[in-house]
Amino acid sequence: MNEATASATAEQPTVADFARIFRRAQAEIHKVIVGHEQAVEELLSALFAGGHVLIEGVPGTGKTTLVKTLGLALNLSFNRIQFTVDLMPADITGTRVILSNIDGRREFSFQPGPVFCHILLGDEINRATPKTQSALLEAMAELQVTVGGTTYPLASPYFVMATLNPIEMEGTYPLPEAQLDRFLLKVRLAYPGEDDLVRIISATTGAEELGVEPVFAADEAAQHIEGLKRLVREVIVAPALEQYAARMVRATQPANARILGDIRTPVRVDAVNRYVSFGSSPRGAQALILGAKVRALLEGRANIAHEDIDRLAPAALEHRIMLNYAAHADNVDAAHIVEQVVKAVHQTRP
Amino acid sequence: MTATRRDEEKLWLILFRIKSVRARLNFLALQDWLFTTLAFLIGGAATIFAAALYLSPLAFLVAVIIVALFTLAVTLRVARRSLRNRATSVKAAAIAEERAALKGRLSAVLAMANAPAPSQLWPYLLEDTYGLRAEFEPARIEPRWISRSVLNCVAAAMVAILLLALSLMPNGGPSGGMLNARAPEISADIDNLDIRPADPALEPNAEIFADPATLRKLANKLAAGQKDDGNETALSKWMNKARGLGADLQDQVSGRKSGTRPPVRLRLTAKNDRESKGSHQPASPGGSNGQSKDQGGKAGSNPPGAGGSQGAAKDKPPLPAPMPGQQGNEIAGNGPVSPAQSGTNGAEPGQNPSDMASAAGSGSGGMSNHGPGSDPQHLFGAPTSQPLGSDNFRITIDAQASDESSTPGAPAYIPPKVRVPLNSNQYPDEPLARASIPAADQTTIKRVFER
Repeated sequence: MNEATASATAEQPTVADFARIFRRAQAEIHKVIVGHEQAVEELLSALFAGGHVLIEGVPGTGKTTLVKTLGLALNLSFNRIQFTVDLMPADITGTRVILSNIDGRREFSFQPGPVFCHILLGDEINRATPKTQSALLEAMAELQVTVGGTTYPLASPYFVMATLNPIEMEGTYPLPEAQLDRFLLKVRLAYPGEDDLVRIISATTGAEELGVEPVFAADEAAQHIEGLKRLVREVIVAPALEQYAARMVRATQPANARILGDIRTPVRVDAVNRYVSFGSSPRGAQALILGAKVRALLEGRANIAHEDIDRLAPAALEHRIMLNYAAHADNVDAAHIVEQVVKAVHQTRP
Repeated sequence: MTATRRDEEKLWLILFRIKSVRARLNFLALQDWLFTTLAFLIGGAATIFAAALYLSPLAFLVAVIIVALFTLAVTLRVARRSLRNRATSVKAAAIAEERAALKGRLSAVLAMANAPAPSQLWPYLLEDTYGLRAEFEPARIEPRWISRSVLNCVAAAMVAILLLALSLMPNGGPSGGMLNARAPEISADIDNLDIRPADPALEPNAEIFADPATLRKLANKLAAGQKDDGNETALSKWMNKARGLGADLQDQVSGRKSGTRPPVRLRLTAKNDRESKGSHQPASPGGSNGQSKDQGGKAGSNPPGAGGSQGAAKDKPPLPAPMPGQQGNEIAGNGPVSPAQSGTNGAEPGQNPSDMASAAGSGSGGMSNHGPGSDPQHLFGAPTSQPLGSDNFRITIDAQASDESSTPGAPAYIPPKVRVPLNSNQYPDEPLARASIPAADQTTIKRVFER
């Protein structure tokens, strides 16, 4: 690809460009990450949809490696924060320090924290206090950080990936719902199968270093990714599909007049009414549509389909559903609820 | 400019295809409605026709109402379903997408066709969808031109044709046999018998032959019956009206005409009361027969135990001589008689009825009807079952045996033990061998037995 072509692609990528770049990034990541195809696809989908990702997985499943590899493949600046219980918000956002200038005068100067990057890995985010966790909220939602009354914009693209360890829960702080809601998708990393395990062993215990070739040049990466993100926004959504996504989100909400302004729900799911305290917020619908748009482009379509929404539903809705005590007592998880919701809403298709 | 024009042409073609798919789907939905409705209408009509042939007027009327309501409900339901299945453009596009695996392309094109500022991917979507135009050709989306519901219609028509053919076969249906067969002459004893049309709604069409005394008794019975009619309740009036309506409708549907129905020739005979009461109503001293008030009144005035049959015999016309064609009916009315109850019939076969009347009037108490009934020449076994259809009369034995007196507190009537010598034509009741029956009488006898 010559420079002119690359520039044109960065400015106005086509559907074919999108699919090609996406598949190439996937391939580069899979040079290091064995298995987890769906997780990688969802990770990239969230990136191109302009959202953030919460990665949940037990230790040793490659969460941190995945994020680091993504940063390398896209050739974007990458920072990592290991969340601990004594981590302070200023350790994330940055702080103002007194520095002496050339004239010998002392003045406050802002020292950016690790949040100032393109790709931020918040490792084991649930080990930090809620106050520290909330320090990420403004960055994630508004792509800016306010310190000492001064607002500092973050560079675009900005992509936060937080990992969550579902075990070793002692001394952890569950993420506030407001923060959970800001993650576009939640990606689960399960234990690899036997075949994948063999491949992991052979790939990581040899003398050969696994190299990831960046998909973009360093100075063009951000421009390319922003171009692809714009393309995603251009994908056509028929009104019926917007309604389908809205219906799916509404179906996750229990029939509770205290919460819902309009309790008329075209789709009622028994499991939701029984086990769900709070359903998905409107951000869930946005996540469904944005994720579906990425999937449509990946399949070479300029429009989304019902199947795209159905496929994205677990990743987009599970972490937005708050279960009640009955669900915990009956060992019902959010995945089961979303499955029931998708089934019920699927039947309303024309 | 050229690109825009090309996009418009592609859009037009895509929308035209969607409209074609819609038209085909709607055409099938229309056929479905039409054929299904037709099938139910044909089925309903066939059922009504069958009911007209096989059911009584009242049952026919009920059947017609049920079938009509059912057909109406089903027709409405089918119409509603067809309306629901009617395809709009959006629905047609969705169906086409699903069948051609187009993943929302048609819906998106349809939705964005009139959008003021479509996405920059709009040309791509048009090109993409246009490239797949072969996938959503109407013939590919819906290959059928004729709805499968035509099979329902054909099946219903075949059943209807079969039913019609069965009914039109000579003697095939009940109507055929009933309409074509000339009813033979029937003789019946009117005493203790209630003679009335099987269906009050039907016009009487019997030709009755009888001697004057018998006819007079019949007139009395009819008068008594009319008095009873005056007491009929509102419900029975409505029932009769319903029967009338049902009969008219039945005639119209089946093509029968009441006026052309062959009359039943009914020959009435009056037998000696003493015989009939002595042999058939041992516990009823002549007053228990509500059908014959004059007889009942007179018989009831007799002292208990004095032999109601004797008292009644004074007012009764004489027993006419049994004719060969009548004897079977008399057997049907009498049944087996024990030797203890047997009496002597003073009437000779072939004797003039007036003479017999005078003979009976002279009173030969305890006369029994053993004579003709036990005549081996006219006895035969149980009639073979033969479906003769139905005529329009029913002869009902109204008298019931009872151990109680008609007067409250009075002792029960005990029939006298009368032993009279048998005449020359009579034999003691013994098991008799079957005898041959004249062919001319067989139908009549069987008909009487079938009552």
